[in-house]
Amino acid sequence: MALASIDIGLLFEVVWASALAGAVVSVLFALVVLFGARSAETRRAGHGTVSMAYGVAAVLSFAAFMGLVVYAVNLMLSKG
Amino acid sequence: MDNDLVLWIVVATALAFDFTNGFHDTANAVATSISTRAMAPRVAVALAAILNFVGAFLSLQVAATIASGIVEADMITLAIVFAGLIGAIFWNLLTWYFGLPSSSSHALIGGVVGAAFAAEGPDAVIRDGLIEKVAIPAVMAPILAFIVAGTGILVTYRIVGRLRPSTVSRSYRLGQIITGSLFSLSHGTNDAQKTMGIIFLALVANGNLSTNSDIPTWVVVSAATAIALGTYVGGWRIIKTMGSRIIKMDPAQGFSAQGSGAAVILAASHAGFPLSTTHVISGGIMGAGAAKRVSAVRWGVAGNIVVAWVLTLPAAALVGALTYLVVHLFGDGAAGPVVVSAVLLIALGVAMARRVGQGQTLTAEG
Repeated sequence: MALASIDIGLLFEVVWASALAGAVVSVLFALVVLFGARSAETRRAGHGTVSMAYGVAAVLSFAAFMGLVVYAVNLMLSKG
Repeated sequence: MDNDLVLWIVVATALAFDFTNGFHDTANAVATSISTRAMAPRVAVALAAILNFVGAFLSLQVAATIASGIVEADMITLAIVFAGLIGAIFWNLLTWYFGLPSSSSHALIGGVVGAAFAAEGPDAVIRDGLIEKVAIPAVMAPILAFIVAGTGILVTYRIVGRLRPSTVSRSYRLGQIITGSLFSLSHGTNDAQKTMGIIFLALVANGNLSTNSDIPTWVVVSAATAIALGTYVGGWRIIKTMGSRIIKMDPAQGFSAQGSGAAVILAASHAGFPLSTTHVISGGIMGAGAAKRVSAVRWGVAGNIVVAWVLTLPAAALVGALTYLVVHLFGDGAAGPVVVSAVLLIALGVAMARRVGQGQTLTAEG
């Protein structure tokens, strides 16, 4: 029976890993946009310290996002 | 001499398939970026072409067989490979003509399955392999991408929904350049390898190389060049379908479709379950549109795309089988491949001449 050869465990792994990776990508970049925009708004309002805090958060979010991109490239190159 | 002629015809056909693979799949990486104006069309396809070229050199994990696990490898001959390639090229050109995104890998598998079936009978086809490696991923990829991209855009709107739309759009356009580049690089590392594998297989079958040999540099360079040229020419009809005919997308939706799509492809690939880039990005675009408003998706267009996916394997298989039977009529020598190639080249030339004669350019962006 052909369907017997399907690895349900593998399919489940694909589903949760994909969902998790997709969610992390969306959240991280959305945070980059949010913190970047808040940083610009508070700077215009004259709140230098708050602006810097948002700026740092934006940079950290972007670094985490780029870390994921680098990890993705590494996955591409290491597939066998 | 006769065998060498067949070999070079197979090599040329494999490169022609690689070219159609490039221009057919350009849309996967650039359609959303062009649609949301993250990049100008020519810049987008040029970047995609360069990254496809680079990607082809980055990963040389070339399988010595095509459609492995789906057809019996020891039954594959140069004539079967040639006929399979013709089946795949036919389907790529037909779906491009109708502006329908479909999987080039499934077309190639279909072509080879059909040719192997015609040559050796049903024993040549591994049914479990077809279900496991084609049917299940084909069903799973768009559904998974639909859900992940849909969830992604809902989360995104929740986080950035109160910001000024112009700020959000500008930021997501920049993000799309990154995710689009990732898609193109991934495509180069995956799809150029298929052609390298076919040429390597042909060289081994002809006695020019042993199975343990390294891939010759000219094979890598020619496969990388063919896929990059195809990408640069751009399958504009498919780009139009994916970029604006399924949904009218904003940059955040474009990013969500591409970002979630890349995440799904890489996560699945890492788990040893490769999915079609075309199926994933198409599902992602539909998901990003439907999550905002179900009626935002043109379900008629989406339905046509799904029909094309269902037909990919049987249609390519049918053409692959017919091509094999025609080649076989001329015996085991070079006559069959020569005649089939000549007829197809003449037909292609006539079609192009008619198109130019009607005042249409061959690579029109419109």
